[in-house]
Amino acid sequence: MLTKILSMANVGLKSERVEVEVNVAKKGFPGFNIVGLNGKSVDETRERVKTAIINSDIEFPTAKITVNLAPADLTKDGSAYDLPVAMGIITAIGEINLPKDKAYFYGELSLDGSLHHTKGVFLLALLAKEEGVKNIFIPRMSANEASVIEGVNVYPVDNLKNLIRHLRDEKIISALKPIDITEVLNDITPEFDFSEILGQNQAKRALEIAAAGGHNIFMMGPPGSGKTMLARAMAGILPNLTEKESLEVTKIYSLTGNIPPGGSLIRQRPFRAPHHTTSQIGLIGGGSNPHPGEISLAHRGVLFCDEFPEFSRNALEALRQPLEDGYVCISRAAGSLTFPAQFMLVAAANPCPCGHLGDPKKECKCSAHQILNYQKKLSGPIMDRIDLHLTVPAVDVNNLMIDKEKASGEKSVEIKKRVIEARKIQSERFKKLGHIHSNSDMKNSHLKEFVKLSGEANLLLKQAVNKFALSARSYFRLIKVSRTIADLENCEIIKEFHVAEALQYRTREIS
Amino acid sequence: MYKKENYNKGKNGEEKALEFLLKKGFGLIEMNYENKIGEIDLIMTDKDWLVFVEVKLKVGDKFGTPEEMINKKKLSQIKRVAESYLVLEKKKIKRFEKFRIDAVCMVTDEGKEILRINHYENVYV
Repeated sequence: MLTKILSMANVGLKSERVEVEVNVAKKGFPGFNIVGLNGKSVDETRERVKTAIINSDIEFPTAKITVNLAPADLTKDGSAYDLPVAMGIITAIGEINLPKDKAYFYGELSLDGSLHHTKGVFLLALLAKEEGVKNIFIPRMSANEASVIEGVNVYPVDNLKNLIRHLRDEKIISALKPIDITEVLNDITPEFDFSEILGQNQAKRALEIAAAGGHNIFMMGPPGSGKTMLARAMAGILPNLTEKESLEVTKIYSLTGNIPPGGSLIRQRPFRAPHHTTSQIGLIGGGSNPHPGEISLAHRGVLFCDEFPEFSRNALEALRQPLEDGYVCISRAAGSLTFPAQFMLVAAANPCPCGHLGDPKKECKCSAHQILNYQKKLSGPIMDRIDLHLTVPAVDVNNLMIDKEKASGEKSVEIKKRVIEARKIQSERFKKLGHIHSNSDMKNSHLKEFVKLSGEANLLLKQAVNKFALSARSYFRLIKVSRTIADLENCEIIKEFHVAEALQYRTREIS
Repeated sequence: MYKKENYNKGKNGEEKALEFLLKKGFGLIEMNYENKIGEIDLIMTDKDWLVFVEVKLKVGDKFGTPEEMINKKKLSQIKRVAESYLVLEKKKIKRFEKFRIDAVCMVTDEGKEILRINHYENVYV
């Protein structure tokens, strides 16, 4: 008998409906074959399904079983076809009847018949909503991901036996209650609090501006001055994701299997800190079957590159286009995919190989040639795309002695409040533009509409452009940073001192 | 020692399969045909078909079904021997134009009593 079960395949971030056709023929030599342009993990589905069915107290048919995953020209991979294939076989041998309403089945089977956490469930729920399919059957561990989508009945399945009982109307599985999207999750305490970091007030201020406007920032300083600590503490002053942003991020995280079992929407802004040995493909995304990279995982969040010059040249230069456009287009023989990559770059570096160039207390031991080579790794185009350049000086250890009474600085929570206020102003400003969320996302064409400069500010800008020979990109980025500084003070019009402050973060050009 | 045991078991299975197929109206041409490429358990006739038969016997079902033991590799091996047979024994079989590979799978208990016997036609696809 022939049965058809609905499931899903992912092509990048796009989902497509897949019909799992299962034919169980009593005639012919017994066997079990799956066709339809399958990857290795779909081939292995056969062994999992067979064992899971046997272990669910159902006799596996000695018959010629042919499974086709249609459309047959679409590459399919992953373990999510276990459940639809198993349901197809069980239905075809007449053990159960399929529900009258169309339903999606999706999930990886364990050999004992229970269901594992499966990646991509969030995308399945979105597809179901789009196609008007009311019911989805998915592993219980992944069900929370889907339950945020309205208008879809999510049935969490523990194991094959329970699902069979449900479909025989013996013991009904109740659909999950939808989770309210606006429900705010508890804030996760970051590794470091800004109050733990003594001094470095200029750096803290710059990070606050960066967080408020989503600007890229570059910190240079000797080893041990607190660059890494500052960057890690920054995770604690980022505002939570808005509803819209959260959906975008959750989509990427669900696709890559980065949502933990039982997890739901991602509400915390991503903070990714790839090691400097990360390959170009690991960073940008790619592979023969294109996969999102670190920059896409950092979408709407922070990509922290510690030891920036140590990254491979290829990887760094590949950052240029995504930094400018906010997305990355990956073309391979198999096809071309676009992944969103609107991230905020936080980079840290030493000024020279020994790290003490410009340090008043320690002498730099590097030769001029070494210094030149080291700094050459960071190309102009990349540095030009970074809005805030910052020098983090070495700290006086005498102030840090553990027996000393510390005058603690401002807490992260306080800073976060200001950042959230500034972001609110921005989201109000860009309300009618769907894809723009912060000042740094603005395209140059938006500047005329959203940015108002006072007369003096305008004059200062003009002088700066002429004196320091700023590039066109630098000029526009300077305005965007000024806009954020003004937002932090809730100023509608950008004043002279806002521009002046923004200007001092472009040390690369003005020194 | 063990090999001898297995050999006898296989011999026994082939005899039972032969008996079963003769009852079905098949005619025997060769039993345990062997050449340098490999061997075929039974070569038989079914009306105007020339049939190459692979016999598989399992004692008990603890270690899987006999059907599972006939995989693609085994089938292609049988096909290679069958093709060589068609070339080498041209004279003997020239009245046949249609050829196929069948499988006979049987399960017996410890006392060699047949629990089930299945005959599958045209298993090579």
